[in-house]
Amino acid sequence: MATPATCPQAKDLSAHLTSKHLPPTPTFLTTILSTARPSTPLPALQRTALFRLLASDITSTVAYTPASMLPANIHDAGIKERRLAGPIPVQVLDIEDIGHSRWSQVEALEAAERGEMTKGREVIRVVADRENDAAPEESASSGPHKLLLQDAAGAKVYGVELMGVEGIGLGMNIGAKMVLREVVVARGVVLLEPRSVTVLGGKIEGLHKQWRDGRKERLKAAVGMAERRA
Amino acid sequence: MGKILCVAEKPSIAKAVANHLAGRAQPRDVRGIPWVKNYVFDYRFEGPWGMSNVVFTSVAGHIKTSDFTERYRKWNSCDPSMLFEAPIETFVENDKRAIAQNIENEARNSHVLFIWTDCDREGEHIGSEIRDIALKVNPRLEVRRARFSNIERAHVVDAARNPIPLDERQANAVAARIELDLRLGAAFTRMQTLALKPMIDSVQELQVISYGSCQFPTLGFVVDRYFRVTNFVPETFWSIKVVHKKDSINVNFNWKRGHLFDRMTVTVLFERCLTANIAKVIKMQKKPTSKWKPLPLTTVELQKNGSRFLRMDSQRVMKIAEELYTKGWISYPRTETDQFDKGMDLKKLVEKQQQDGHWGPFAQGLMNGGFKQPRNGRNNDKAHPPIHPVNYVAGNQLNDEERRVYEFVVRRFLACCSEDAKGEATDVEIDYGGEIFRTHGLMVLQRNYLDVYPYDKWESSQQLPQFAVGETFVPTEAKMMDGKTTAPGYLTEPELISLMDANGIGTDATMAEHIAKIKERSYVMTRPKSGGRGDVENYGQAVAARGRGGRGRGRGGRGGGNGTARSSGNDGVQEFIPTTLGVALIEGYDNVGFETSLSKPFLRKEVIGAEYLQGRLTCADNQQMELQMKAICAGTRTRHDVVQENLELYREVFVRTTQQINVLKAAIRKYLLEANG
Repeated sequence: MATPATCPQAKDLSAHLTSKHLPPTPTFLTTILSTARPSTPLPALQRTALFRLLASDITSTVAYTPASMLPANIHDAGIKERRLAGPIPVQVLDIEDIGHSRWSQVEALEAAERGEMTKGREVIRVVADRENDAAPEESASSGPHKLLLQDAAGAKVYGVELMGVEGIGLGMNIGAKMVLREVVVARGVVLLEPRSVTVLGGKIEGLHKQWRDGRKERLKAAVGMAERRA
Repeated sequence: MGKILCVAEKPSIAKAVANHLAGRAQPRDVRGIPWVKNYVFDYRFEGPWGMSNVVFTSVAGHIKTSDFTERYRKWNSCDPSMLFEAPIETFVENDKRAIAQNIENEARNSHVLFIWTDCDREGEHIGSEIRDIALKVNPRLEVRRARFSNIERAHVVDAARNPIPLDERQANAVAARIELDLRLGAAFTRMQTLALKPMIDSVQELQVISYGSCQFPTLGFVVDRYFRVTNFVPETFWSIKVVHKKDSINVNFNWKRGHLFDRMTVTVLFERCLTANIAKVIKMQKKPTSKWKPLPLTTVELQKNGSRFLRMDSQRVMKIAEELYTKGWISYPRTETDQFDKGMDLKKLVEKQQQDGHWGPFAQGLMNGGFKQPRNGRNNDKAHPPIHPVNYVAGNQLNDEERRVYEFVVRRFLACCSEDAKGEATDVEIDYGGEIFRTHGLMVLQRNYLDVYPYDKWESSQQLPQFAVGETFVPTEAKMMDGKTTAPGYLTEPELISLMDANGIGTDATMAEHIAKIKERSYVMTRPKSGGRGDVENYGQAVAARGRGGRGRGRGGRGGGNGTARSSGNDGVQEFIPTTLGVALIEGYDNVGFETSLSKPFLRKEVIGAEYLQGRLTCADNQQMELQMKAICAGTRTRHDVVQENLELYREVFVRTTQQINVLKAAIRKYLLEANG
C-alpha cells in the first residue's frame, strides 16, 4: 500500500492546490487524507483541503521552491526597484490604514465600543440585531493600506497598496492568503496593485483574534512612539 | 352688537393687532397689572359675528403652573422616586392672578372668545389655558383662534376674517411635555442634588445640581468634544507637492492621496515620481459651476448665523428676532420651514426693500426682471413660512442689534429671490510616476446673489495657464513635505446647534434655552473662539484650575460670565468648555450606563430610545420624546400613553442611578475634589 502522500488521491489533491499556487507539504496532505473518509468524492476532498489550507499557517502547510519564495535580500533598501516573477503565496500578518491618522482610528474604535456611529452629524446608536449579534463590521476603509506579508518560508516583508486592491482593507482577516505575480518591489517594499495581487481569502483564527483584540492598544502605542520620535 | 374678547400671548402683540384692526385703539388699564392693557374698539368681522364690540387683551405667556401637591413640594418631604407618580395640580400662580381675573371679567358678558396666541404648540397650549379660564365663568362662549405668522396689517386683517378652531392635540402634546419635564426634572434634580451637593459644598457653592432631559444631552455634546480635544495626540504625516511654472504662472499641484501617515511609503512613492521625471497631463476640464444661493431662513439657521456673523449668541438673536416680529418688521421667527408657499407674493416683499440705501438697488434689480423663485428646502412645519421681512424699516429706527438681525433677514431673503452665483471651474490632473496630482481653478463670472449676501464667500482663484491632455513636462519642483495633525476645536455654538438639530434635542424654539441653561447651571463656560492651538491647551488647564479654585461662582456665574469672554468684548463665535462639574456629571452617568450595558439587556429595535437611556442618559433620548410629541399632534398617540411610557423608561434609569450612585460620586471626587488636593 502506498503512503498517503504518494497515493493517486494525494497526487490529485496536490495538483489541485498547486494550481491555486498553494502547493501543499506532504505533512499537510497526510493529515488531510488520514482524517478524510476514503469514500469522500474528489471534488469534496479538494474543497475541504483548500479550505483547511486557507485556514492554516502557510509556513507549515505550503511547500516552496526558490521561485515561490521572497528572495533572501528582499529587505535590501539599496535596490531601487525590481520585479519578482512569482507566483509567490503569502499570508497577511498585519494591516494598517495609512491614509488616516492612528488617533482618528482609535476614536472610531472607541465610538464603536460605545455602540455609537456617526452618520453625518447624527450620533447613531448601533443596535445589534437578533440574527447577527456580531459587532458591526468596520466600514470599508479607504486606505491605502500597509500590510505585513509572510511567505511559506517564513520571510516577512511590508507591502503597500499602490492602487486599491479588491479584498484588501481593515475588514480582511489576519492570515488571509494572497498570491503575488510580477510584483514590483521598491527599496524593500512590495507595491501591491490589482495587476500583481490575487487575494485568495482565508484566516488564521488565533492570530486574527489576537490582532483584533490588540488593535486599539497597538494604535495607541504607535501614536505615543511617533510622538517621542518627533 | 355682540362682544368679542380677543386675547394675545403678550401685550405687544395685543397692541399691534388691535391697532391694525381699529386704526387707533384706546388702551385701558387693567387692575393689578400696569403693563397689560385692554384695547376697546368696534370692528366689523366677516360672517355671523358682524359688527362687534371688541376687547383686545393679552396674557404674558403661560398663566397656569403645574406642581406637585403641597405634601410633595418640599425637598425633604418624600423620596425623590415618589415624584414619578405623586399627584400634580395645575393652578394660577399669585403673580398671574390679575391676568386671569381680567380674562374672567371680560369673558362674562362676551359672546366669542377669539384667541390670538402665537401659532405653535406652546401657543396652542396657552390658548387652551385662556379658554379654560373663560369657559368657567361663561360656558356658552364660542371659542375660536386666529391663524397668523406675522404682524403685518393685511395678514392680520386676513387672520381676523378666517378664525379656526383651537387644536386640542397640540395643547395635549405640550401638557404631556410639561408633566414629563416636571416629574423627571424634579426627581433627578432632587436625587442628584441630595446625593452630590454635600460632597461639592466644600469647593463650590451651588443651589441645585439640576437635571433636564434636554440639558444633559446638550451638555453631553460639549463634554464629548472637550475630551476629544484634551485626549488628542498629534501625529506626523507626509505628502508630496509638485509645482510647475508655465506661462510665468507657478501652478501648485496637490497630491491626490492628500497625505499619508507612513514615511517609508511616501519616500518610496516620491522616489518613483523623481525617477519618472516627466509628468503627463491626463485631465483638463473646464466646466460651468455655480454657488447656490441660500435656502429660505429657518430658526436654526438664524441662530447658527447669529453666532457666526452677527456676534450674538443664539438666545440673544432669538430675542431680537422676536422683537422685530412683534413690531411687524419680520415674520414669526420660530419656524422649521425652508420653502416658500407657491402662492406667496414675494415680489411685493422685495418691492418694499427698494428704498433702502444699501440693498435697495439690489432689490430694484430683482424687481426689474432679476427676480427668481427661491429654492425649496425639505422642511415644512405647515404652520409658518420661512423667516422673511414683512415691512421695510430704516436702519436709524432700530437699535444696533436689531439693525444687524433685520439686515441679515432682509439680505437672506433678497439672496433667496436672486440667482445662484455663476463661475467656471478648471480641473487639471497629471500623472507623475504613477501618482496623481491635481489643481483646481475657479473664475467667478456672475456674482448674482453674492452682491447682497456678504455672509457667503466665493472668490476667483489664481488664473491657470492652458494645459492640454497628453501634454508632458518636467515639473519645476517636486518635494516631500511633512506636517502634523491638529486637535479639533472646542464645540462652537453653531456646531452645538447643528448637533442638537441633527439629534432632535429640543425644538428649534427651545434649543437656545437649553444652551443658556447649561451655562446658567455652571456646567459649561463659553469664551470667544481662539485661534491658535496653544491657547486652547492653556485654557484646558485653566478649566481645571477654575474647578480647583471654584470659589462661590455657583449659579451666579451665569451666562458664561467668565472673565475671558467679557474682556474680549464678546465678539465672534463662542466656544463651549465644560466645567469640572459638567465633566463629572457626564462621566458619572456614562459610567453608570457602561456598567449596565455590560449585562447586555436584549432590547428590540422599536425601543431604541430606551436603549439610549440605559446606555447613555446624555445621548439622544430626547429625539424619541419629540417624535412622541409629534405623534400626539397627529392624533396617533394619546397624552396619557406617552407620559406613562416615558415615565417607565426613566424610572428604570432612575433606579439604576440610585443603585449605582457611588459611580457618580466617584466621578465627582475625581474631577472636583481630588483636583483640589
